Amino acid sequence: MVTQGEDSRLPVITAEDRTALTDSLRRLLADRCTEADVRRTMETQSGYDPGLWRELAEMGVVGLVIEEEYGGVGAGPVELERVTEETGSALLCGPLISSGVLAAELLRALGDADAKSRLLPGVADGARLATAALTGRAGGWTPETIEVDAKPGAGGGWSLSGVASYVTHGQIADVLLVAAKTPDGIAVFEVEPSRTAIKALPAFDHTLRLAEIVFDATPARRLAGSKPAWDAVEQALDLARVALAGEQAGAGKRTLEFTVDYAKTRAQFGRLIGSFQAIKHMAANLVLESESAISAARHAAQALADGSPQAAAAISLASFACADAFNQIAADAIQMHGGIAFTWAHPAHLYLRRARADAQLFGASAFHRERFLQRLGA
Amino acid sequence: MADGAPALTDDALRAEVRAWLAEHWKGLPQPRPGPGGAGWTTTPEHRAWLAKVVESGWAAPRWPTEWYGRGLADHQARIIEREFAAVGAPGSGQDRTNLWANTALAYASPTFKPKIVPQLLKQEVGMCLLYSEPGAGSDLAGIRTRADRNGDHFVVNGQKVWTSGAATADYGMLIARTDWDVPKHKGISFFFLPMKQEGVEVRPLHQITGESHFNEVFFTDAICPAENLLGAPGAGWGVLQTALAYERSVMGEGARGPRSGVAESNGEEPLIALAREAGVLGDPLIRQEIAKVIGYRRLNAMNTARAKSDLAQGTSSSIMSLGKLAMSRILHEEARVRTLILGAGSLLEGPDHPRAEDANFLTLNAYFTSIGGGTDQIQRNIIGERVLGLPKEPEVDRDVPFRQVRGNA
Repeated sequence: MVTQGEDSRLPVITAEDRTALTDSLRRLLADRCTEADVRRTMETQSGYDPGLWRELAEMGVVGLVIEEEYGGVGAGPVELERVTEETGSALLCGPLISSGVLAAELLRALGDADAKSRLLPGVADGARLATAALTGRAGGWTPETIEVDAKPGAGGGWSLSGVASYVTHGQIADVLLVAAKTPDGIAVFEVEPSRTAIKALPAFDHTLRLAEIVFDATPARRLAGSKPAWDAVEQALDLARVALAGEQAGAGKRTLEFTVDYAKTRAQFGRLIGSFQAIKHMAANLVLESESAISAARHAAQALADGSPQAAAAISLASFACADAFNQIAADAIQMHGGIAFTWAHPAHLYLRRARADAQLFGASAFHRERFLQRLGA
Repeated sequence: MADGAPALTDDALRAEVRAWLAEHWKGLPQPRPGPGGAGWTTTPEHRAWLAKVVESGWAAPRWPTEWYGRGLADHQARIIEREFAAVGAPGSGQDRTNLWANTALAYASPTFKPKIVPQLLKQEVGMCLLYSEPGAGSDLAGIRTRADRNGDHFVVNGQKVWTSGAATADYGMLIARTDWDVPKHKGISFFFLPMKQEGVEVRPLHQITGESHFNEVFFTDAICPAENLLGAPGAGWGVLQTALAYERSVMGEGARGPRSGVAESNGEEPLIALAREAGVLGDPLIRQEIAKVIGYRRLNAMNTARAKSDLAQGTSSSIMSLGKLAMSRILHEEARVRTLILGAGSLLEGPDHPRAEDANFLTLNAYFTSIGGGTDQIQRNIIGERVLGLPKEPEVDRDVPFRQVRGNA
């Protein structure tokens, strides 16, 4: 659910600031997040590069949407989306969206002052990795898919039992925010990861980390909230979806670029393959997909920043449009390259793997299309 | 400031337009569609108003003062357009949208220009386009209609097709071959051909929609005064590019909706309203399809908005060239989903079955956009080559004298 008029972040970011931020981020990623870096990092156990993570935090990227009083930049969805266009383009590995967006926004949306002041500064400066466990083994990121039950214990504490799955970067998190069912509805709990059994899931996208977490009478702190907890979760999910839409738009654009570049240099039958209409027309279709994805992601970010009543529908639209576009671009890119892109050494499959992952996270396209219609009132 | 006129502030200009409109604009009867739905039949009141707008310099303010203009910069001209739009008065912004007048201003001969330009601005003459031929569609430069010089005039023979408004037009913008011994793009000339003469025969075309918006036009020794030549002989392809650019800029604006005229929604998305009415809004498969297609239309609107804002910030945008391709997908897909919603109901036609009539009409009329004004395939070539910089397909006829190209002997 998108809340209106509650955004306490101030519009301190000018268009020039935004360009400066994305420019320096692009330079950093061009230097430190090359294809070789991505391949090296994705094979590590943690799945992120701590040195690069620190630099991203110093640049303000990790704490971008966290309020200034907690050490963040206090930027909003528009800046976030521009940033994830860049990180998506570079296939950045790491918990940027899990920690800096999903978990941070969930804390903000709940409004538990104690939790915010204890947790957010560490999240903002990158020293603490947080994530949110919001769905069970069915996936789906809806209340019905939650498989964790919470029971009140002695002394105001709670205990959780059950399973959360597809927890992004769960295996490297220092803080877990867990959505669980209580006798009085869904609530969000803060859990020490060491008190749970965390199993790393083998992700098809090697640049991603996923975990399944088993709770067995695990002690948990119930986070206070100024609104129903699931509304806060939806608010966090929607911001994460905007970030993900930007990531997909940026990654799709990059994939199309290197594919078109290849079509300009690869010759067969004595001609550059880009001169064949069979290739050219695929590329032209993908331009439409790529540009539409960028428009959708930016529009959703702007609508959310403006507190527009249409923001919810715009986010749903961006979610399925960007997912579908990136998947089509990444899939066609392999076909257009031919045999070279069937090799592990070629980067195209890295983008297809990311496209397939992003298309499932926080809800799949069919879910977002249905939600889009509902949000249009149908 | 052009023409040495004293610079006018935006506020002063706005005030001047407002005052002028307040004094002169009294409203007009609605223009009626012409025969077969093509063009407009302008009323005498409409023409009188346009004449007033033209004489006052509001019709084409970007143009120089000696040509009914004011030599204004684009942003000031837009102020005028906005003021006209605010009261619903037509006639302004013609320096942006009147393809006939802009083409004539740029290329007409010194003797013809003073005659034709004011007539075009005041819409005193009807116009039509004489470009495509049965043998020259996507490959427009392959035209075989010929214009042969004979003293002070040209003699025109051949055939054109897809001409709307031909029956009522006073002039047609014609491309014809004047030199057969040079490559295809170099032997073409551009004319304002007088249409009301014996050598010009107009026959209506019956479209797949059952309508007749277009004609075939046959030329048998039709006469065109030499002063009606626009640009130099053989330079017609360049003139055509200017004319096409103006045409595309107005064409992208919109496509036709349902024609049954039976209202189907009050502000709701038309496909949602249709599905609700048909009782299938709860069908999850149909819901998915509806969402996808509404998405296409919204994405296109977002692309257009982003392109405009890019342009306003001075960065050129490649998104503009995507609009036509996007619209053709939107129209085909919307028609497909309408059919899906109606199911067997789409078997029917006629006034008693307006929903089926709309779905079937839109299914067929979608080709107007995916073929007309450059097919989707040509559009993809343009995007591939001009936006992405992909190499062109080898052209076997490009540097060959037209006479020697296969099929033209």
